[in-house]
Amino acid sequence: MDKFFKKNFSIITLIFIPIIFLWHPNWLGIFGIQPYWPLFWLLPWAMIHGSSSGIIFGLFLGLILDALTLDSNFSQIPGLILCGFIFGRIKLNRDLLVGHFRYGLICSFGSFLCGTLYFLQILFHNFSDSTYLLFFPSFYNILAEVFLTGLFAPLICSQLFRVFQYSRK
Amino acid sequence: MFDIRRISNSRWWHKKKNWLFFGIFLFLVFVRISKGSIYKDFYYYISKPFWPSQFQKEIILESIEQESLIKLNLLKKDNVRLRKILSLQESNDNERISAVVISRKTGSWWRQITLNKGSKDGVEIGSIVVGPGGLLGRVDKTSSFTSSVTLLTSPESKVGVWLERTQMSGLLIGLGDDFPKLILYSKDADIKIGDFVSSSPASTLLPPNIPIGIVQSVEEPFKSKKTAKILLLAKPHAIDWVQILKVRI
Repeated sequence: MDKFFKKNFSIITLIFIPIIFLWHPNWLGIFGIQPYWPLFWLLPWAMIHGSSSGIIFGLFLGLILDALTLDSNFSQIPGLILCGFIFGRIKLNRDLLVGHFRYGLICSFGSFLCGTLYFLQILFHNFSDSTYLLFFPSFYNILAEVFLTGLFAPLICSQLFRVFQYSRK
Repeated sequence: MFDIRRISNSRWWHKKKNWLFFGIFLFLVFVRISKGSIYKDFYYYISKPFWPSQFQKEIILESIEQESLIKLNLLKKDNVRLRKILSLQESNDNERISAVVISRKTGSWWRQITLNKGSKDGVEIGSIVVGPGGLLGRVDKTSSFTSSVTLLTSPESKVGVWLERTQMSGLLIGLGDDFPKLILYSKDADIKIGDFVSSSPASTLLPPNIPIGIVQSVEEPFKSKKTAKILLLAKPHAIDWVQILKVRI
């Protein structure tokens, strides 16, 4: 049993992503906006297991998170699949400090990608004369999310990275 | 020479791991189709010890007073009007269900709250949710123990509203920030900062005269439309207790 948990610990931690997504701790956000939680898990996972695994688990995460959100017309799957693919192509860096900094940058970029893809879906779906009204709040949402994701990524990703590597060994 | 037939062990279906992934994928598709009911019910149980207590009076007292005064005035006017015309909707006060907010997403694009009452308690899709201050949103999904509410600030939310001072109808659309936009389909619409907005008597989704918000700023007319920023009276990020109203249309 213990061996099973050690071996599959990385998969078990996946369950907590939707829980945090639902919990939405306000004290960790700015003006009600939260970091984009699934990327913190997807980045170390895809870096260790490669692009194909990143794509599969990007799809899995997207399926779960789409089920939890009410916007049935928009999906988080495209953004997460793309991030899973890109994250899988990134090589590990031996320098600890550079590695930490990179997690922040990569996650910020991933968050920007996911945010933009989600916004484009909203834009296409609500295309009308009043579309211009959506631009400012969406831009603000994307920027805040990118900032927060980049801020927390070095802390969370490096810990998860170590855990995933340990469980893989 | 003998032709040696090789039996391949490297087919994808021979690998246990692939079947495991396929199993997980099927399970997640099931989760997606069931709209996360399992997850939400699981979350209902694990979050139960952390639900808020009935200790919110200090924070919401001001909103309640404001709401009561506005509502009283509206009901008086409405009563006179309803004697003359036939109302389109009615809501039964006996069918109010009190619920606790167990999860809230009030930032970013996903603007929704999850309540601790679900289809088992009689909550139906389309029921409206009010909190101290006024309207919060509509129930969009229900599981056995929980229901998810689309807030007025969500980009998916579009409701018909009523401008009390000028007796005009408009459309309130969520944009993904804290201030939904009111669109009036007239270039010369008379709208001022401080005007009160309530649910429209002509709406087929909401009962009439539920307080919604106050006009915070008015923008320049654009393509025969006038838009205004609305400050909502009910604050979804601070409310812990809400009421679910069944709507009879």
